[in-house]
Amino acid sequence: MIKSVVSIITKQKAFLAVVVMFIIMLFFPTNFYTQYNLLDMLNSASILMIIAFGVTFTLIGGACDLSVGGNMVLAGIIVVKLLEHLPIWASILIAVALGGIIGLVNGYLSVYHKTEPFIITLGMGTLLTGIAQQITDAHPVPCRNMAFMRIANSQILNVVPTLVVIMLAVLLFTYWLLRFTQFGRNLYAVGGDYEVAKYSGINVRRTKAIAFVLSGIFAALGGILLASKLNTGASTYGDTTALEVNCGVVVGGTSFAGGIGGIPQSAIGMLVFAVLENAMNMLNIDAYVQMLFKGIVIVAIIWLDCYTRKRKREAV
Amino acid sequence: MTKTDQDYILSIRDVSKSFPGVKALDSVSMDIRRGSIHGIVGENGAGKSTLMKILSGVYTRDSGTIVFDGEEIKSITPHESMQKGLSIIYQEFNLVKTMSVGENIFLGRFKEMKGMRGTHEKARELLDSIGCNISTHKLVSELSVSERQMIEIAKALSFDSKLIIMDEPSSSLTTEEMRKLVDIINQLKEKGITIIYISHKLDEIFQLCDTVTVMRDGQVIDTRPISEYTRADMISMMVGRTIENEFPERPNCVGDILMEVRSLNTRKLRNVSFKLRKGEILGLVGLVGAGRTEIVRAIFGADKVKNHEILIEGKPVRIRKPSDAIEYGIGFVPEDRKIEGLVLPFAVDTNITMACLDSLTKYGFLNESSEKGIAQKHVDALDIKTPSLKTRVENLSGGNQQKCIVGRWLEIKPRILILDEPTRGIDVGAKYEIYLLMKKIVEDGGSIILISSELPEVLNMSNRVLTICDGRITGEFDPTKTSADEIMASAIGLCGEENEYESNYESAI
Amino acid sequence: MNMNLTMKAQSSLKKKFLGFIKEYMILVAIVILALVTAIAEPRFLSLENMTNIMRQFGPLIMVSLGMTFVIIGGFIDLSVTGIVSLVAVVTLSLIEPLGQIPALLIGLALGAICGLLTSTIIISCGALTQAEALFITFGMSTVYGAIALIYTGGETNHLSWVTRDTSLFKAIGQGNVGFISVSFLIFLVVLAILWVFQNKTYMGRAISLTGGNKTAAWLTGININRCIRTIYVICGFMTALGAIVLFSRVTTASPVLGKGYETNAILSVVVGGTSLAGGKGSVLRTVLGVLLVTLLSNCLNMLEVSAYMQVVLRGAILIAAIWLDSTRHR
Repeated sequence: MIKSVVSIITKQKAFLAVVVMFIIMLFFPTNFYTQYNLLDMLNSASILMIIAFGVTFTLIGGACDLSVGGNMVLAGIIVVKLLEHLPIWASILIAVALGGIIGLVNGYLSVYHKTEPFIITLGMGTLLTGIAQQITDAHPVPCRNMAFMRIANSQILNVVPTLVVIMLAVLLFTYWLLRFTQFGRNLYAVGGDYEVAKYSGINVRRTKAIAFVLSGIFAALGGILLASKLNTGASTYGDTTALEVNCGVVVGGTSFAGGIGGIPQSAIGMLVFAVLENAMNMLNIDAYVQMLFKGIVIVAIIWLDCYTRKRKREAV
Repeated sequence: MTKTDQDYILSIRDVSKSFPGVKALDSVSMDIRRGSIHGIVGENGAGKSTLMKILSGVYTRDSGTIVFDGEEIKSITPHESMQKGLSIIYQEFNLVKTMSVGENIFLGRFKEMKGMRGTHEKARELLDSIGCNISTHKLVSELSVSERQMIEIAKALSFDSKLIIMDEPSSSLTTEEMRKLVDIINQLKEKGITIIYISHKLDEIFQLCDTVTVMRDGQVIDTRPISEYTRADMISMMVGRTIENEFPERPNCVGDILMEVRSLNTRKLRNVSFKLRKGEILGLVGLVGAGRTEIVRAIFGADKVKNHEILIEGKPVRIRKPSDAIEYGIGFVPEDRKIEGLVLPFAVDTNITMACLDSLTKYGFLNESSEKGIAQKHVDALDIKTPSLKTRVENLSGGNQQKCIVGRWLEIKPRILILDEPTRGIDVGAKYEIYLLMKKIVEDGGSIILISSELPEVLNMSNRVLTICDGRITGEFDPTKTSADEIMASAIGLCGEENEYESNYESAI
Repeated sequence: MNMNLTMKAQSSLKKKFLGFIKEYMILVAIVILALVTAIAEPRFLSLENMTNIMRQFGPLIMVSLGMTFVIIGGFIDLSVTGIVSLVAVVTLSLIEPLGQIPALLIGLALGAICGLLTSTIIISCGALTQAEALFITFGMSTVYGAIALIYTGGETNHLSWVTRDTSLFKAIGQGNVGFISVSFLIFLVVLAILWVFQNKTYMGRAISLTGGNKTAAWLTGININRCIRTIYVICGFMTALGAIVLFSRVTTASPVLGKGYETNAILSVVVGGTSLAGGKGSVLRTVLGVLLVTLLSNCLNMLEVSAYMQVVLRGAILIAAIWLDSTRHR
């Protein structure tokens, strides 16, 4: 039992990275280890984590979704605009549904028309950002709905940020979906070996398409929460979101070959970057140097992943 | 028929199947007795896998009827066939390597099994029933071949299979693992399950099977109870055929030793060493997976291999990558022309000149008119049927595609040309043309290493034959002096000493 | 035999025609677009407008041309964003101490070096697919961008602050030779060189074959690693050239100058008709792709099409291009 726990930890490079960073921070006199900071760190990371959970579905299925940035931004703007006319629950619902529809289009084109998912979602992302810019004339749209703003800026029991609670709820839900439903298990099969899954009677195309829909829904949710947090719908974000989120999920252990990974892994993968950023802030490292480190970490982890596969390939 | 139909779980009548250029099954008929272990033997290309794939629903037959368990099967998906009680265990296994044992057994049936717990519980039951104690939570990627086989058997049982087809189940098994498999097969028989056992290992066939069907060239030669066969009969039936004028006269231009390979060891190969002479056609005979392609890939530098030696004209050479091999005058026509040989969306002339681009380059620039000339030269010489030089090579027929690849290598005038399944999927006319080509190559002083699953082809074209079995060279023969049966026997590992080969030919010099 | 060939030839002629339309769809689209605009609004054809269009070309076309080679080779390069920023700030900062010509040359070399670095990383870990290259180059983009930010401390510098002679850059940015802008001239020269490289040289062919089928190319003796290095170095160099044209025109070098270039470049290449699958493609097509994208906003503005419709049309063309790309290979 102990042996398997140890082997899981050493296999999870991301988890190790997080632990290492925590240990390093023990040696510096900073506010890192305060309740406030740890919760704040989690809070800042929550929105991206929610999007990452959605993206996990597509990656496990063997595809990737690069439209999440545009999706996120558009959803935020739409929800803010709708709030001027509709109650909160309706605005949120419609924005989320729109995200799902975008996911459906992505899924349809990728799966039923066999277009390479990465380019179609890349294009879709650009398109969505463009639409967002047009709708807002590239000006941020301020939100006047106090109740909406409170969603992402309040705390439960005056301690835990609501955002974190929402993130945890999404975590549990997506974890359940992947681990305890037929759909989730089928998705692993489809990503693990498309042909075998097909021969076992699984509707491979539908499964993959649904993964895209989920990705779209959670990207939209992330966008809505972002709009709530900033109290505006802005089209200026989201350029690198798609890549950052996909990277985080891959770093966490979900391979873009498909078939392996999961929600806890994605959470840890995103945490690697969240903790890295927070720790570097605490250590007063220059913002630009932080960016450098982040880039190096991304390249290093992907390099290791590729290299392991290369060694396996060449073992004759 | 004195026996009732109920006695037969599977009846196949006049099933045929053709693929472009090749007739894989020609009016095949057989009856499988319920509760028996029915063996099917035949060499590569005999049609066994095609038949099995039709039974399991992967392919659709062109004609004929199939009656399974009293029900006529019109067309069926693999999943449906499993549900009806017909399971097949492929040599490559139909498992998702990244998932656990339990989940693989019940792939796609998560809900039926009431979730994870149910899946693993029922999987545990099934594994226990065949005496297998692998944990259901282990990932398939962590299992050995023998263990994966157990999982596949458990999977078949989970569908309450009445008929289980096993395709070459004993390749890659140790003697101990094989014994375990035999136990399980007998257990299954006691449960009333019918087994179709496809194998080239005649020992096992004789040990296990009640009835055996021998196939050859897409046809059933005979089906008899095992007691009515001898080994010799079986091999003859697998191999024997009247050889018509399919082949040109065997060339005989053999000269001195050109190349020597020593101590080739890889994961699959064990201490492979052999010599190749100038002007010789050396045939490598063995079953699929024996290691023939691995040998030639190692020579060509396509795989990273260490600690072996290659000598050409007595001098040691270092071949680390294909361009090294090409420099030494070695060419390679790979097994899968579409994936490894051709750039499909590109033109005929581009594909033909791929290997000789260096010679067409001056100061970094390609000489396009020369390129066109070279391409045209080969198109004419090899009679490649194409609307133009600029036609996309994917639009050519298989035979013409293959000629493009051969033409490509001819341009560099190779000393040694490796041909891996050169006539696969090609019609008879084109095949003959390729044989003539081979003859011309050796007459012009080149040597050929020929890998082919068609025994007659290898036997008629080669000057010398090496048999490869499970990664070892098991024999060396002169096809003009040895019978096809004897060579085949060596290839399937039936001759006495499996660890050394007898240099019959060498000692005769 | 002869009879069959003619009948086959006839039906194949029809197929050829349709195939031709499909292949050159973009050219057709451009021609239609230009015609419609010219008829509805003659101002479109004015010298002023033409010069305007030519000017908008500059940076994006350079980056896109470089990207074309990477995509033909079967890979992708997202690091262009970072390289644009880095080259711009470094070049500008070096004019004062070293003079404009050395600064220019170093800037160009820097782009090539970045490409070399990226390709070395890709080769060393054995990354062979576009997806792997995607993430590695994304990481490198962050790295290069971060270096640019660190180098300038986040500040944007202006060309006008330089006391030494900057006439070269002014010429690139604003200058004209007769009717034609200098940057357009540079573009023509570079296009010619790249076209020759792609179609007439050994490396150009090798890159094409690598993109078409890496295994087959390797098995015929082509040095795949050398091809990978070449495509990234070319892309790096072209990106550097684009960066210089860009900052010459806007006369400022901001360390985030490169924002958005990677997506626009990739999309221009795809819209132009170069296949993402690798192997097939051409620099000329990329020119058409950038032309269409640039022309689109120009024409639609001329025709006074509403902003919303423009976005919709742009999106539609994008999706159509991607879809066409995928159908061409089924």
